[in-house]
Amino acid sequence: MEIFDALLAGFATAITPANLLWALVGCALGTAVGVLPGIGPAVAVAMLLPITAKVEVTASMIFFAGIYYGAMYGGSTTSILLNTPGETASMVTAMEGNKMAKSGRAGAALATSAIGSFVAGTIATVVVTLFAPGVAEFAVKLGPPEYFMLMVLAFTTVSAVLGQSALRGMTALFVGLALGCVGMDQISGAARYTAGQMELLDGIDIVLVAVGLFAVAEVLYAAIYEGTVNETQNKMSRVHMTARDWKRSWPAWLRGTLIGTPFGCIPAGGTEIPTFLSYATEKKLAKGEDKAEFGGKGAIEGVAGPEAANNATVTAALIPLLTLGIPTSNTTAVLLGAFQNYGINPGPQLFTSSAALVWALIASLYIGNIMLLVLNLPMVGLWVKLLKVPRPQLYAGILIFATVGAYGMRQSAFDLFLLYAIGILGVVMRRFDFPTAPVVVGMILGPLAEAQMRNAVALGEGSWWIFLQRPMSLTLVVIVALVLIVPRVMRRMAARKLASS
Amino acid sequence: MTEGSTIPSPRAQTIVGAGVLLVAGGMAFGALQISGEAGYGGVGPNFLPWLCTVVLAICGAWLVWEARTGGYREMSEASGHPKADIGSFVWVSAGLLVNAALIGTVGFIVSCTICYVLAVQGLRRAARQPQAGSVGTWVKDVLTGLAISAPVFWAFTQFLAINLPGLTGTGWL
Repeated sequence: MEIFDALLAGFATAITPANLLWALVGCALGTAVGVLPGIGPAVAVAMLLPITAKVEVTASMIFFAGIYYGAMYGGSTTSILLNTPGETASMVTAMEGNKMAKSGRAGAALATSAIGSFVAGTIATVVVTLFAPGVAEFAVKLGPPEYFMLMVLAFTTVSAVLGQSALRGMTALFVGLALGCVGMDQISGAARYTAGQMELLDGIDIVLVAVGLFAVAEVLYAAIYEGTVNETQNKMSRVHMTARDWKRSWPAWLRGTLIGTPFGCIPAGGTEIPTFLSYATEKKLAKGEDKAEFGGKGAIEGVAGPEAANNATVTAALIPLLTLGIPTSNTTAVLLGAFQNYGINPGPQLFTSSAALVWALIASLYIGNIMLLVLNLPMVGLWVKLLKVPRPQLYAGILIFATVGAYGMRQSAFDLFLLYAIGILGVVMRRFDFPTAPVVVGMILGPLAEAQMRNAVALGEGSWWIFLQRPMSLTLVVIVALVLIVPRVMRRMAARKLASS
Repeated sequence: MTEGSTIPSPRAQTIVGAGVLLVAGGMAFGALQISGEAGYGGVGPNFLPWLCTVVLAICGAWLVWEARTGGYREMSEASGHPKADIGSFVWVSAGLLVNAALIGTVGFIVSCTICYVLAVQGLRRAARQPQAGSVGTWVKDVLTGLAISAPVFWAFTQFLAINLPGLTGTGWL
C-alpha cells in the first residue's frame, strides 16, 4: 500500500501542466533523435545538460527520461525503414524489420515494434515500481566493499563482455578511468593531472566527453569515411496489424519483456545480449510457415520480441541507477551526471531523501509510454519525414547543438578545443573497433568507485582482504570472476566442438 | 587484409597501440607528482593513477604485439570507405577550431554560423556534390546556419537563461 500511495503522489506531481509539457517535449525530442542518424539519447541528454543550471530538478528529470525513452521508440523506425541501423540496440530489429519492410510490410513492423515497446515499457515500469524500493532498502545495508565490487562488476561487464575484444574493451575502460582522474581528488583534495590549468581542477566534464565522443566524432567520421555511402529507404505502408500479426506478436512481446527485464536490473549493461537472446528464442520457437519467414520475407516475431526486450532492459536499467547509483549504459551514465549537477547522488538514500522526485519520475514513465504510443503510431509518418533531411546539413547542424552543450556548461573556449580533441579520439576508436561505452561509464563511475575502494580498505584497516571477508562482497568477487571466465571457456568449448565435428 | 577492407593496416594499428603506451607514459609522469599520502586507509590519491598507468601500459604493449602479429584480434569491419577523405576532414576541423577560437569575441550566432558553413561545405565535398563550393550553396549555407544558430541562441539565453556569448550585450545578437 505504501508503494501505491507514493506512486499516487508521484502522479500528482507528474500531471501538473508544466511537467506534462516537459514530458511531451522530451518524448517528441527523444523520438526525433532516435529517428535521426548521428545523435542518440546519450548525446541528446548530454547536450541539454546545461539546462540543469536553471530548470527545476523534477521537471528536468522528467524531460530527460522522456528523451531516454523516446529514442528507443524512434530508433526502431530508422532501423526498419533504412538499410543502416543506427545503434546496436536496434541492430536486431533491423534484421527482420528491414526484411519485412522490403516485402511491403513496413507498417506492420512499425506497429508491432511500437506496441511491443509500449507493452514491455509498461510492464518493466511496474517492475521498477514494485521492486526498486525493496532493492533500495536492501542496498542501504551494503557497505563500501560491496559497493566497490558492484561497480567492478559493472566495469567488467561493460568492458569485457560487450564488444568484440576484451583487450580493446579494457583499454577503453582505463582511458575512461584515467579521464576521471583529472581534477581534484574527492577524498584528499589533491590536484591530479591538472598541469596547472585552473579549468582542469574541476575535472573534465562528462558533457564534453559524451558530446565529443558521440556527436563530434560522428560528424567527423561521416566527413572522413561516409561521404558517399548510399542509403536506400524502404517504402512505407499503412500502419496496421492483421489478426494473425497480433496473434504472433503478443507472445513474443511478453517473452521479450521476460528476457529483457532481468538484464536491465543487474549492473551488467547493454541491450545487445537480451535482444539477441530474444531473437534467438523467437527463431527457435517459430514453426512451419512462420519459421520460413525468418531471414526471408521477415518474421514479425523477430521484430516484436527484440523490440520488447530492448525496451524492458532500458526501463529496468533505472533500478540499478536509482537504487545503487550504478549506470549500466551511456545514457544512464549521463543521467547520473544530471543528478550530480543537482548535488543529488542516486543510491539507496534517494528513495528516502528525494522520494517526491523519484516517484514523480516513475509516474512520468507510465505517462511517457502512453504519449510515445500516440506519437509513434498515428504520427509515424511525420517522423519518417525527418529521414529526408540531407546528411551534410543534418551533421553540420549537430555541431551547433554540440557547441551549446559543451560551451553552455562553463563558458570556456578551452572546452571547445578539448571537444575537438575528444572527437578525434572518438573517430580513432570507431575505426579501430574500440567500444566507447566503457570510456563514459569508466569516467563517471571511476571516481565513485575509487572513493568506495579507499573507504573499504580504510574499513579493513589497510587490508585488502576486506573484500573477501564479507559474504556479500565475496559473492560479488566470485560473480566477477565467473563473468570473466565463463564466456571464454564456453567459446573455447564451442570452437573445440566445431573442430572435432 | 583484403583490398577494400576498412580494417586499418598493421602499421596504423601499431601506431594506435603506441599511442596507448604514450598515454600510459603521460599517466606515469603525472602520477609521480601526486602525493602518496594515504592516511590511515593505506590507499592514497596516487593509487588509481598508478593502476591506470600499469594497465594502460600492458594494454598498449599487447595492442602493439597484436598489431605486429597479424593485426588486432576479432576486428569487425567499420562502416564507410576504406580510404579517408582528408580534404573534407580539414573543412570540418576548420569549422570546429574556428568556432572555438572566435566564440568569445564574435558571439555565439556568428561563430556557430561560420562553423556550420565550413562543416557543411566539407560534408558536401565528402558526398561528392557537384554544386559544392558554388556561390549558391555558400549563400544557402550561411542562411541555414543563421536560421539554426539564432533560434538556438535565443531559446537558450531568453527562455532557459543559459549564458552564451553574444556579439552585443542585448541577448539577441
